[in-house]
Order: sequence, then C-alpha cells, then structure tokens
Amino acid sequence: MKKVYILGLMGGLMMASCKPNIEPAAPSGGEGVDFTKYVAVGNSLTAGYADGTLYRSGQQNSYPFILAEQLKTVGGAKEFRQPLLPGEYGYPEPKFMLMMNQGLCDTVASLGPARYKGALDSVGSSQNIYTQSGPFHNMGIPGIRCIDFLVPGYGALNPYARRMFVAPAGSRAIDEAVIIKPSFFTLWIGSNDVLGYATAGGDQAPATPGGTNQISNIDVFNAAYDTVLSNLRRNGAQGVLLNIPDITNTPFFTTIGAKSLMLSKNDANLLNNAYNSLGGFIRFAEGANYFIIEDSTSPYKFRHIKDGEYILLSVPSDSLKCAGWGTKKPIPGRYVLTLSEVAKIRNATASFNNIIYQMAKRENIPMVDINAYMSTVQAGVVFNGALFNTSFVSGGAFSLDGIHLTPRGYALVANQIIMAINTRYKSTIPMADVNKYRGVAFP
Amino acid sequence: MKKHFLLMGTLLLSSAMAFGAAFQLNLQGVRQLAMGGTGTAVPWDAATIFYNPGGLSALKHVQAYGSVQFLSANTRYVETPTGSYSANSREKLYTPFNFYIGGPVRYKSKLSLGLGVYTPFGTGIRWDDNWRGRYVVQDIQLQSVFFQPTASYRINDVVSIGAGFVIATGHVSIQRAVPIQNMNGQDGKAELAGNANGLGYNIGIHLRATDRIQFGISYRSSVKMKVKRGYATFTVPSALSSSFPYTAFRSDINLPQVFNVGVGVKATDRLTITADANFVGWSSYDSLIFDYEKNTASLQDTRSARRYKNTLVARLGASYTIGRKFTAMLGAAYDPSPVRDGYVSPDLPDNNHIMATGGLVFKPNKRLSIMGVFEYVFTPKRDASFDEANFSGRYQTRIVNPGLGISYDF
Repeated sequence: MKKVYILGLMGGLMMASCKPNIEPAAPSGGEGVDFTKYVAVGNSLTAGYADGTLYRSGQQNSYPFILAEQLKTVGGAKEFRQPLLPGEYGYPEPKFMLMMNQGLCDTVASLGPARYKGALDSVGSSQNIYTQSGPFHNMGIPGIRCIDFLVPGYGALNPYARRMFVAPAGSRAIDEAVIIKPSFFTLWIGSNDVLGYATAGGDQAPATPGGTNQISNIDVFNAAYDTVLSNLRRNGAQGVLLNIPDITNTPFFTTIGAKSLMLSKNDANLLNNAYNSLGGFIRFAEGANYFIIEDSTSPYKFRHIKDGEYILLSVPSDSLKCAGWGTKKPIPGRYVLTLSEVAKIRNATASFNNIIYQMAKRENIPMVDINAYMSTVQAGVVFNGALFNTSFVSGGAFSLDGIHLTPRGYALVANQIIMAINTRYKSTIPMADVNKYRGVAFP
Repeated sequence: MKKHFLLMGTLLLSSAMAFGAAFQLNLQGVRQLAMGGTGTAVPWDAATIFYNPGGLSALKHVQAYGSVQFLSANTRYVETPTGSYSANSREKLYTPFNFYIGGPVRYKSKLSLGLGVYTPFGTGIRWDDNWRGRYVVQDIQLQSVFFQPTASYRINDVVSIGAGFVIATGHVSIQRAVPIQNMNGQDGKAELAGNANGLGYNIGIHLRATDRIQFGISYRSSVKMKVKRGYATFTVPSALSSSFPYTAFRSDINLPQVFNVGVGVKATDRLTITADANFVGWSSYDSLIFDYEKNTASLQDTRSARRYKNTLVARLGASYTIGRKFTAMLGAAYDPSPVRDGYVSPDLPDNNHIMATGGLVFKPNKRLSIMGVFEYVFTPKRDASFDEANFSGRYQTRIVNPGLGISYDF
C-alpha cells in the first residue's frame, strides 16, 4: 500500500505542474499612427445620448469612451475628458426607462418606456463647465448637423454646445473640436442632416429656426464636411470616418408595422360600413390590417398606409388605442413617412455617404461603413452568446428612444472602429467586451 | 471485503465523469488504462465485461473488481487574436468508478456470467459566473452510469463469445447566464437539469489464436440517452417572469457506437504488448435540442448544431512482470477530437488527446490484486470558435488522473 501513497503523492505534484500555460498575445499600437491625443467629433451618437436624453452614465459608456479604454491598452488616450453631466435624470428632459404603464384605455398595465420619475439631479446641467474640466476629448454635441460645424456662435443655439465650449457666443464647433490638437480622431457627423426631417414626419415637419427639420443642402454639406476634416487633419492627425446609418432601419420607424392594426371581424365590419360611401377605397378585414394615414395627395386626403411606409414611434399610443387614430381617423402626416419621403431620406443618406466615402479615399484614412453594419444588426449579430438586433426593447442594441444605442450597442460600434484601425494601421488593439456594458434594463 | 463494498457504495453517490476525447472516457479498468486504454484482446480481469464481454469466459474464478479514478482537468481560455483576457476553468475533482463481478458459473464451466457497473461517458466544466462566455455556459455536468449484465460462452479453446445488455442512467445539468439585465445590470440565469435513461448492448468475440497471440473484437452499441422530463428554471427581471416560466423540457443525447479491434502478443514470458483500435461513431451527436413544454415568444425550443465527426483511436500498451508479486504497465494513446472547427463550445472545449499512462499491479497473494494507475492527458492548444455564439479564443487543457483498483478472486 506504501507504493499507492507514493503514487498519490506523485499525482499531487504533477497536478501542480501540469496547468495550461497559454497567455494572451500583447496588443500592439501599429504603424504610422499616434493614439496619444484622441478626440471624438460627432453628434448625439458620439456624446453617448440614449433613452431620449443625455445623462451621466450614458456619457460614461459612450463609444468614444469605450474606444479610449481599448486605446489605453496600446498606450493611447491617456487622458479622455468628457463633458459629464451631474446626474442620471437626463438633460434637459428626463430619460426613458422601462416600467409597467397603464394608458388611458388600457385594461391592464404593460411593460413599456416611460419618462423617469426619480429625483431631479440635473441641477447645474446648463452651466458652462469648460474652465472646470475642459477642453474635452469627447466633442459629441447632440443635435449638431454637419453644416452647423462652421456656424460662428453655435454655442448660443445649442444648450449642449453652450455648456462645453470655451467661447459659446463666438466660436465655431470645428474650432472647439481642435483645441486639444488631436493626434487621432474619429469623425461621425451627418446623421442630423437628415434625421430632423425624418423624425418630424418628413414634408409635414413644422418649420424651425435654422431649418433643422429640413434635409441639408448637399453642396453645403460637402463644403462643411471638407472643412471639418481638413481642420482635424491639420497636424497630420490620423483618424477614422463613420458614415451615416439609414435612419429608417431604426426601431423608431420599424416598431409599429404598417400592417399591424389587429381587428376583430366585428370591428372590421363596423369600419367597412362607416367607409362604405367610398366604394371600397378603404377596406378592413379580420386580422392584420393597414392603418389609415393622412395624405394630402390622395383624393380623400387619407388612405391606407402601404408597405415600405413608416409610422413613427412618437405617435401618441393613447390616440392609436382610444381616439381611433389609424382606423376612424387618419394618423397625422407628421407621424408618418410616405414612400416619397422615405425615398428623399434614403437618397440624401446615400449622397452624404458618397461624400464621406470620397473624403476618406482622398485623405487615405479608414472609413467604417456603419450604415452597412447596422443593416447586419437588423438581421442580428451575436457577440459572445448575446444576440443583438434592431427590435425595440428586446433587441438590446437600441435604447428606449429607438434611435440612439445602448452602451452595448455603442460597444459594438467601438469594435467596428477598432477593426478598421487594426486593418489600416496594422495594430492589434483588442475588441471591447460588449457584454461588460449595459443593454436595456428591465424592472 | 466489507470495507471494499462500503467504498463502492459511497462512490455510487458521487458523480462519475469522463474525459476522453469529447465526453467519452476510457477508464473502465485500471490495468487497461495503464496500458494506454487497450483491453479488447487480453482478458486480464473482470473489467473485460466492458472491454470485451467475449473474454469473460477466460476467467478461471469468479472475480469481484472495483476501481476509482481521481480525475482533475484544467482548461484555460485566452482571448484571440489579442487582448488581455484569459480565464481558467474552476478546479474540480471527478471520480469515475467501475465495479465488476463475474466468472464461470461452476469451476471449469464453459458459461460465465457477470455484471458491470461503470461510467463510460461524462463531462463537466465550470467557469466563473461572470466570465466572458457566460451566455454560452457557466457550468455543465453530464454523468452516466451503465449497468451491464453479461453472459459469455467458451465455444472451444480458441473462440469465446459474450454479450451484455446495457441499462444506462445519467444526469445532466447546465447553467448559463441569460443576456437580459435587471435595473442593477445583473444578468438573468437559466438552469436546466434532468435525469436521462437509455438502453444498449455490448458484444464481443475473443480469440486465443496461439499460446502467445490473442485477438479481440467488440462492439458497443450507441445509446440514446433520453431526458424525458427535465426542469428548466429561469431567473429574469420580474416584468419578464411570465415570458420565462418554470417548465419541463425534453432532450436526447445519442451516445456513440464504438467498434473495437485489439491484439495482444506475449513477446516473452514476462512481456505482453497490446494494441487496440477504436472506431467511435461520434456522428450520432449531430445536435443538442431542448424542447420546452411551455413555449413563449421569448422561450422557444433550441437546437444547437454539434455535427461531431467519427473518430479512430489508436492505443498501445505493454505489461511487464517484475516478479511474482509485481507487474508494471505502460501505455500511450492518440484520441482525435470529434469536434469540428467552428463547433468548439466552451462547454466542451475539445481537442485531440495525447495520453501517456503507467501503472503497477501488486499481488500480495494468489487471489488479491491491488492496482494503481496514473494517466496524463495532453491536448495541444487549439484556436477555436463556436460560431453559433460568435465565441472564439484559444483553449488548452491538461488532465491528470490517478486511479486505484482492487480485485479478488473467489
């Protein structure tokens, strides 16, 4: 039996010495690029805007911040200052959160987004914080269009710009963006040059000062983009451009399907009787039906919505459920994108993206085709076992406003940028761990 | 002997795991394992009930046999192509066991009967709860115990045949995180557990060609392990609890058929060399399906493709009699992985196994044998991905496996 003990002892010793010994490869910073001073230039997507507003933890999980964390593994982005808000409430509006809600004519409460009702901790959000913590590496300004970057005194027009600019009353956004003299930049602008038109319902959009509800003029866009990029490149900085995602793929436009009006046989009959005088122009059946929408070009000023047209997520759900919108009354045009409006949005997006593509080519810097990537997200992408798609709430990538991303969604964007950097500069910056960040939080 | 049976009793309660390539283990006899897992041709002891039922009638006396392994596996994962992330599977000891009793019904009878209780399949790996593969697996344990009543008949001095009926029982449990977060950012959790049952058989022919050369052929059928009523528990935010109900589930795992051919040559009076080839029909493990009794929009049945491929295992062993009381064994085997690239899940980060084994038999008297074995399993590092979960990285596994056995001839 002694031998058996010896054997056991040998076994114990071998166990200690037989651990696997593989180690991760060390990341490398690549060639011809200096990540020391990274500046992110962009709009709300760059600011970390989510859930219909800007709030502190959203900013702390913005894609520029996530990217900066990864750049740190190769000695870059040692400093990365963001114009953080004081709290979680949201500025200026409270953020959306998932909660059980009961609408005016709901018999039971159901899970859905509603404005945060917690303590107001946004006092001081409107104050300028440049002297306190600027200049900033994250120059994401919610609401800014490409064409706004050259407007002197832009800080007076935009509350987010006003709180982070050194000279809000006189400077141009592009001047503010290069204060740090970036050695590396990301530039993701242009979405608001088409988004304002789309979210305001297209041609029915009410007029606003500066025309923010209109699609930007392509020549003005081109000139502005060129100037912004030239300024960023001035000190020989390298950088990555991101193009404009097709906004009509986001849950803000896709959640309420054109043919998602569910009717009982009885209700369908009642509606058919009411519209009887129109000779079958309006027709309902048991099951799924096309909503009725306003259309000034139609003979009766209304018609059934068609496939490929969108109802906006901003349409009041109580009006849909109890005021007869979409059935007895047409859904107003400002909540609908018709085929011609959708075509304008897509054409503008394609034109702007062509400009961005040409600029990247001219400057010989990488461009992330985030538009193409977001359409793969629409089909579903998996990261370490977690599935992401563009479904509202359950998709995990889009926040509760249906347009901006969750921290996990922003991490997916950061990884696309890292892939572009690694390809172009022969670096091996590790991917961000997407699942380390927050998705949609459920009560 | 009282002590011995007591020992077996407690081991039956503990779990029995396996770490061959994929989740087959080849630890059904101490001597056989020490000789590289060969055992089809030479009926050394009652463990032949597993290795080749045809060899049972070669035993001169009724033998009781028990053995246990103390297996510990270490797997390490590192992120690829670059990064700073690595993870180690948690240390855990597994104790696969075997128990056999069998021999001639009367002295010099041509008919022998026996019973084998052994643990031919199993696997287990536990990762940290918040590791990066948590949505694929946090913990998985597959256990099986086979009961095999066996009869063997010596047709003449050369040819013996044998057959056993296999009643298989098992247990499976899986735990993983669910990518649904509550207000505090904590993940949901899915826990699945159930008992499995199946039937099969094990048949073999043993040929004593000459005094020095023996052959063996055996075939172990595939066993369809059915989980008829497992239970799934989901921990999710309360607003979604109705979408993830507590529910029963069904699942099947088709354990592979194995065809074995072996030869044993008595090179000298002291030295015996054995060689085995095992054809393992892993293609039976095509997919892993969970069929939930209650489906909701969020909880659909799952089907995970596994697409295992058949493998051919080569084994070589040697036994050397040192004196009247001692015999030393050595062996080696190459057990290729049935798991294809793109299907390497962290629930079983498999790779080709290269095994080195050694052991010793101590025979204090004519009836009693005490056996010790040590197995070291080396798997080369594997750059692998589990495409379905888009989870990839580099894995390396080391297994050390000492074991003890005892047999007694009545």
